[in-house]
Amino acid sequence: MKTMRRGLRTILRNPLRTGLLVAVLAVSVGLALIMITVNEAFAKRLDDIRAQVGTTITVRPAGSFGGGFLGRGGFGGDPGGENPATGEDSTAQQATLTDDALADLSSIEHIASYSRRITSQYTGDELQSTTIEPPEGAPAPNGAPAGGFQVPILVTGTEDPSSLASLGVEDAQIVEGRTFNSDEAQANVAVLGQTLAENNKLAIGDTFQLNTTTMEVVGIYSTGTQFGDNSLFLPLETARTMFDRTGEVDEVDVQADTASNVERVADDIRAALGEDVADVSTELSSFEGISSPLSDAKSSSQVGMIAALVASAAVILFSVGLVARQRVKEIGILKAVGASNWHVTAQFGIETVVVSVVAALVGALATFPLAQTVANGLVSDPATSGGPAGFSGGPPGARVFQFGGPVGGLLGDVDVAVSPEVFLYALVIAIGLAVLASVVPAWYVGRVRPAEVLRHE
Amino acid sequence: MNDQLPSDDYVAIAEELTKHFKSGPAVVRAVDGVGFRLPRGKMVALRGPSGCGKSTLLNLIGALDRPDSGKLIVDGVDVSRLSGGGEVAYRRRKVGFVFQQFNLVPQLSATENVTLPMEFVGGTNGASKSRARELLRRVGLAQDRHERRPAKLSGGEQQRVAIARALANEPPIILADEPTANLDSKTGRLIVELLRSLRKEYRTVIIATHDADIAAEADIILEMRDGRLVGDAVA
Repeated sequence: MKTMRRGLRTILRNPLRTGLLVAVLAVSVGLALIMITVNEAFAKRLDDIRAQVGTTITVRPAGSFGGGFLGRGGFGGDPGGENPATGEDSTAQQATLTDDALADLSSIEHIASYSRRITSQYTGDELQSTTIEPPEGAPAPNGAPAGGFQVPILVTGTEDPSSLASLGVEDAQIVEGRTFNSDEAQANVAVLGQTLAENNKLAIGDTFQLNTTTMEVVGIYSTGTQFGDNSLFLPLETARTMFDRTGEVDEVDVQADTASNVERVADDIRAALGEDVADVSTELSSFEGISSPLSDAKSSSQVGMIAALVASAAVILFSVGLVARQRVKEIGILKAVGASNWHVTAQFGIETVVVSVVAALVGALATFPLAQTVANGLVSDPATSGGPAGFSGGPPGARVFQFGGPVGGLLGDVDVAVSPEVFLYALVIAIGLAVLASVVPAWYVGRVRPAEVLRHE
Repeated sequence: MNDQLPSDDYVAIAEELTKHFKSGPAVVRAVDGVGFRLPRGKMVALRGPSGCGKSTLLNLIGALDRPDSGKLIVDGVDVSRLSGGGEVAYRRRKVGFVFQQFNLVPQLSATENVTLPMEFVGGTNGASKSRARELLRRVGLAQDRHERRPAKLSGGEQQRVAIARALANEPPIILADEPTANLDSKTGRLIVELLRSLRKEYRTVIIATHDADIAAEADIILEMRDGRLVGDAVA
């Protein structure tokens, strides 16, 4: 029989007391483990959101909104630059972004790459646009031409056509052909939206006239929307020449090297270009505002975790202290028959370790069914915490950026996967608590003089 | 006592041994300048009324407490200068305790209680158990009581277990503090007889008691009054 066996015997000597201690400790340790698990899930979800948001920084001429073409008489605007609401010349109020101004970008650190775009509305008659018919019986909107609303054809010139994302349309898929290649920076080639191609009976390899220039169709894309598919894309320099906009830029997509540098790079761009010249926006800042309930919940879980660990430590310290005082006579007997302080402390230590480990295991098992419930309780209702649902910023020709729906989905779908690692955490907590709690008997046993505790028997 | 014996034949020698306690503003002179020489293989009765300092003197001899001053040598060890590990080693090897309240560890069986001191000196499990059973047989505990816990044993049986435990590491001195006070007279006599029998093993048994009949069984009687020895007699 050794110290271990004596410790186990002592634990089993009073099953009710041991059971209560294990139960109370299991609740607090379990709560700590749940909070750790939930905190990890929240952190992972926030990382996922950041990863999905990416490292893109959008730079537009100051005063423009949703894309430079708006101020140039695009969708809802005035081709001549006159604002229909105020009667003022809106082009006069808008700063111009140029290649010369953008030269400063090359001196900013942490920029991985950037690509420029211009977008103009096609006003010629060589291409047929899509007409959206009003619902049957519905009155025609004021000013709308009879027979429905004709969707404007937007022409975007881009300098980085190697990926679909650079075309500026979210979720665009090449359904036929290809995008431009690097040898076609000034070539007369075009990628058409599927609706536009169908309306004009154009297929891959066909040619068509655009502002008197003969263009070849090299690719057809689809976004699944009539609006988005009624556009076409050209190489940047081809578009600049065609629309007489040499050196002008409507929008720049800047890629920061890492997500953590996005805000820093954005600040540097604002400083370099001047806020009167460029509007600089990041998707990250928008998402951080929307994901604040998740961040708050993560903070709450951290506070809960610390509180639960402190409670666990208090429970076991108090219990061990109480037990040591109750068993002062036993300590005296053991020392009288030859036990060293170490022998007695080791016995208390083993008792504490066993109780802590059992409580931690029970707490860990409770984590599996409860963690998801706690996580759901900590995150606010995504329906009320997300941004304005359904708002779409930017026109079809520019980057479509939807708030509310997808982001709300991110917040409302925190999947708390309890991994087997929770048992490792439980073990670490149990051992930590046992080591902490062993300080009490070690201190107490060292002070016990057998003659004093056995004197008044 | 016989002062003519060579010092090696004395198992315990005390000179001007003193232990005082503070009790509020007053000082209790529990042991006040005590001196003695106790030969080996004798039964010594430490007799006196309650509160005269018998238990304190036993505690000093057993290194359960430290003297304020004076000298105490037990089996060649200067107990008055012991501390820490020295005290622990002394308790393991030199003395065995038998208490009035038995003081067995309640969650352990009789055998396990006896193996406890052997465990502390590093005895192997098998050898310790074997010796514990032998000791329990020697003190007269029935075989079917060996694996019972203290709560399932009578007072006399518990005290027999306590005596077996005291003998576990073969100490030269057994210290018994009122060992029969919680027992009926018949059982008490049996326990005293058991303690007396240890003289044959050349052990010295010091019994603190206020019972004149028990003291009469001793070879040497040390009479204590107010912390001082007032005389001694050989029975």
